[in-house]
Amino acid sequence: MLKYSIKRLASSLVTLLIIITVVFVLLRQMPIEGYFDNFEKADAATINAKLEQLGLNDPIPVQLFNFLKNLLQGDLGNSTRYSVGAPIAGIIAKKAPISIKLGVLSMALSLMMGIPLGTAMARGKGKFWDKFGTMFIVFINAVPSAVYYIFIQLYGSTALGISMLFDETNYLTWILPVFSMSLGSTASYAMWLRRYMVDEMNKDYVRLARAKGIAEKKIMTSHVFRNAFVPMIQYIPTSLLYTVCGSIYVESLYSIPGMGGLLVDVIGRQDNTMVQAIVIIYSCIGIVGLLLGDLLMGVIDPRISFVKKEGAR
Amino acid sequence: MFSIKDSKSAKLEQALETQLKTELSEEAINEDELFVLAEYDEMAGEKSGYSNYSYWRSTFQVFLKNKLAVFLVFVLAVLLVFTFIQPYLPGQYPANQVNNHPQTGKQLSNMSPSLTTVLTSAPAGTQLVAESVKDEDGWYTVHNVVDSLKARTKFDIIEYGEEWCKVEYKGKTGYVKNNFQTKLKLPDDPTAVPYESRSNFKIDIYMQPVDYTNAGTALYVQSDLLTIGEDGLATTNADAELRILPSEHAFWFGTNNIGQDLWARIWSGTRTSLFIGFAVALVEALVGITIGVLWGYVRKLDRLLTEVYNVIDNIPNTIILILISYILKPGLSTLVFAMCLTGWLGMARFIRNQIVIIRDRDYNLASRCLGTTTTRIIVKNLLPYLVSVITLRMALAIPGAIGSEVFITYIGLGLPVDTPSLGNLINEGRKLVTSASLRYQLIFPVIVLSVVTISFYIIGNAFADAADPKNHMYKN
Repeated sequence: MLKYSIKRLASSLVTLLIIITVVFVLLRQMPIEGYFDNFEKADAATINAKLEQLGLNDPIPVQLFNFLKNLLQGDLGNSTRYSVGAPIAGIIAKKAPISIKLGVLSMALSLMMGIPLGTAMARGKGKFWDKFGTMFIVFINAVPSAVYYIFIQLYGSTALGISMLFDETNYLTWILPVFSMSLGSTASYAMWLRRYMVDEMNKDYVRLARAKGIAEKKIMTSHVFRNAFVPMIQYIPTSLLYTVCGSIYVESLYSIPGMGGLLVDVIGRQDNTMVQAIVIIYSCIGIVGLLLGDLLMGVIDPRISFVKKEGAR
Repeated sequence: MFSIKDSKSAKLEQALETQLKTELSEEAINEDELFVLAEYDEMAGEKSGYSNYSYWRSTFQVFLKNKLAVFLVFVLAVLLVFTFIQPYLPGQYPANQVNNHPQTGKQLSNMSPSLTTVLTSAPAGTQLVAESVKDEDGWYTVHNVVDSLKARTKFDIIEYGEEWCKVEYKGKTGYVKNNFQTKLKLPDDPTAVPYESRSNFKIDIYMQPVDYTNAGTALYVQSDLLTIGEDGLATTNADAELRILPSEHAFWFGTNNIGQDLWARIWSGTRTSLFIGFAVALVEALVGITIGVLWGYVRKLDRLLTEVYNVIDNIPNTIILILISYILKPGLSTLVFAMCLTGWLGMARFIRNQIVIIRDRDYNLASRCLGTTTTRIIVKNLLPYLVSVITLRMALAIPGAIGSEVFITYIGLGLPVDTPSLGNLINEGRKLVTSASLRYQLIFPVIVLSVVTISFYIIGNAFADAADPKNHMYKN
């Protein structure tokens, strides 16, 4: 297990390094306007001086090395257009907490909605909850989230009698963004939990338990559900990714001063260094999420072995 | 000891004998019949092990049983055909044409959806002020405003009504509106006519106590419905339909804020979005299958491709999509490219896993021993197993791509507005969502989009179910 963890961690670090390199190199191909807040007015000498000062005239490997060196000290560079000259790490540090709060809340909410829904669907196969859940899953998976978020915002804010925009101090306005962000994960939890539970329910040990005369409720909770939930663990990191991507859209829709909204903002303003920093941070979240998921699986399910089976292939 | 065993076996023997007797005697096989040549019997021939099972026929049979999916296939087919023939239908407005009012030259912006251009109709014998339209033969502009008075001009009211007052001005009679917009100055007892009155606003005098204008601008009527008099006034021959445009073709889904026909834009947008969907699905299939097969079949590549997969799979797809759209020039090809960059991953992994499972099965081993080329093994032995999965993934890639397009457009990296797509139509509509009367600009594209994506999703899943041999219940 330890050996596997170390190996997995190392491969994650390599992945991260590759991603940073690729993102960095790609963004250096962008037009240089993205580094100036007043490109049109500046003359050639000023532009060159600024480029020199930012180190953009160096060869790309040197730039990359400098960037990585700064990154190790927690320095993501300075914003060029969004908030001229301000260090990006500082901007993000201010914006991140609210994104994290929203993300955690929505993940919790999706677990709270997805698990009961999935269980209800598995228990009453073909009955009301199953049909309702299937419809819900089809809808969430088929219709682009960008579309139903708009309607949740529109009708939700009317129903709750609140403004359409987010206000950190008014907790009522937290409901709709958190709910919107949790829908995607809710659907995937419900879908997979139902599938795994139905699989488990057809297994022999359940038949044995039933033959022994154990109450159906007990079979469901302490046999079927526990076994079905283990493979679900691997969807928690995926759900984190869902939430992260959902946050980009939801935060900008509700004007939440978080990182997702920030990404949309800086893309609109073509602030290259900011885009680079946020993209790298989001990739990090993805990597960490999948890493945690893999490790969690190993901790929770002792049946999973990380030793490569030789000779099978 | 022996005796017990013997007696037991004797008992068993006896039992068997009786059983044989009772059971075989029922069949009552005649000794002679046993050695007679049997005639060819078709029914008996069918009874033997022959099976007319065909994978594809069974797949379609099972699929056809899913009524909802079949219905949606029909809906999609109609929709698909319609998006292509729509521009060639008569009376369609081009998707990017800014429609102006022929008289005022103003953009026909934010016109509500309507199935007809008829605003109101005038009964036969109505007198109207008519004028022929310059560029539109066969059409006349008509209205029934005979005079327009400046604010605070005095006139006499000779007959009072709750909605219309009959007035006299410079010896001519006519009608003025009596409502909150005209705010006529009235005495305490307005029914005691005649008296002098005025309005603090510009006021129109109509020929009839009916408003035959479109909020002040003239209406259109076909010339054969009018008889033009010598005094410039026209009389309607029959019940005349007064239209807001010199055309019978209405803006069915209304217009957007610069006067473009939403109906035409939606179908043009559906075309774009479906093109994106199909292009992405196709590339995804091609790249996914190629890489998946190489990954699964060529052992040397396994390590390398697994590492590449791990790297790309670790980044959220949305981030890759945003990054690529940000770096490249916005446009159709950029979008398709960005979506394809991540789309093949899932397909490739699935195909790789399946190929790893089936490539060393005995029949493939036998094939290889007989000298079948690798290409043939892959195409004939391996891929047919995966057809259902490939079609499923392709069917699901289409709604996925359409959804991604909506998302990317929202972020501001999508297609330019002069290339209508469902994404930018929804985005345009979203900006107007706060005003209830303009909400149709969001609702219509959303309905079309939902129909398309849900249909593809359900059809894809139904087909995958049908393609699973476990569901091929063999009945004959």
